Amino acid sequence: MAPGGCLLLALLLLAGTVQGQHWSHGWYPGGKRDISAPQAVPAWSPWLVPCRGRKSRHDPPAKSKASRLKVPPPVDPAELCVVTERYRQHRLVLGALRSIFRSEVVQRKHEAQKDAEDSAAVLEEHRLLMAWNDAENARQRARREERIRKEKEEQKMQKLQAMENKAKVMEAFLKEKEKEVLQLQEEAKTFITPENLEARIEECLDNPRNYNFAIDKEGRIVKRTALS
Amino acid sequence: MPMKGRFPVRRTLQYLSQGDVIFKSSVKVMTVNYNTAGEPTSPPTSKFVFFNIPQIQYKNPWVQIMLFRNMTPSPFLRFYLDSGEQVLVDVEDKTNKEITEHIKKILGKSKETLEKEEREREKLSHPATFGPKKYHLRECMCEIEGQVPCPAFVPLPKEMRGKYKAPLKNESSA
Repeated sequence: MAPGGCLLLALLLLAGTVQGQHWSHGWYPGGKRDISAPQAVPAWSPWLVPCRGRKSRHDPPAKSKASRLKVPPPVDPAELCVVTERYRQHRLVLGALRSIFRSEVVQRKHEAQKDAEDSAAVLEEHRLLMAWNDAENARQRARREERIRKEKEEQKMQKLQAMENKAKVMEAFLKEKEKEVLQLQEEAKTFITPENLEARIEECLDNPRNYNFAIDKEGRIVKRTALS
Repeated sequence: MPMKGRFPVRRTLQYLSQGDVIFKSSVKVMTVNYNTAGEPTSPPTSKFVFFNIPQIQYKNPWVQIMLFRNMTPSPFLRFYLDSGEQVLVDVEDKTNKEITEHIKKILGKSKETLEKEEREREKLSHPATFGPKKYHLRECMCEIEGQVPCPAFVPLPKEMRGKYKAPLKNESSA
């Protein structure tokens, strides 16, 4: 139905325009026609309309400003020259004075600090502390020298000990060798030489020895068999 | 952020600010000669270098600290003052705590001096003033408790605004 359709369209359009996003409509919360405005709103609520910055970046300029011509403020060139020159000189002088005063303040502070440090009491205290430090160093040196001396003595003792041990070992070795030599000498007496060969053979033949025996673990002879 | 190094606690601000050796202003250079290999007696100077030197440097940023390794048979500290005087401190046989106590005693600022300096510093600044953040606690009057809040956040009441007062004044004068 054409009239029904037109009405629907009109209604939709109306709804669309009424719910537009422009800030002047006041439909957003906290706006001009907000329902909640009559209620008590705390003074620091962020939703109140700000007095400054009412337009956002994308809002167009107002219709009343359509014929506005932006002109820079009027300037008299001669006056401008004079005024800029005067300002320049004024700022130069003031800047120079400021830097002088600043350096003076810093210098005074340094001097006060130096005086505080160079006073006689401070120097005296410093001298005492250095003396104490020297005493400590001397003590430490004495301890160190003592320690080194002890170490040297220990080393000497150890060396002596080592030499003694060596000597003992050498002595024992020599004794051992001597004993062996003596034993060999003793054995040499029972050696068989060409001179007593015949005598020894006769002796063996005269005394037959029976080696047919068994011994147990202790070394005692357990069994003997007769010599055939 | 991973922890770096063997004892990362040495890099924390809390550890560094616990250093209590603040040198007098006459101390300019501190030199430490120590050995990395084992020392004949047990407390090694390398522990002092590892744990306490960061604290000292943090508290004395204008003192130059130099470390020399394995150059002398025994460890020592040497301080160069601005008068040209050199102070030698033998640190063999001393634990790191003893070393810090020793240098604090001979070349550190005493507690009274530090307190006096603190009081002087306090005198320069007044907590009630406001201005640039570098020199004051607050930048604007609106930040102070009990004062009118900043109009950027809370609009001023109508009576305090110029655009309300001006037409009233015009009306009353006209």
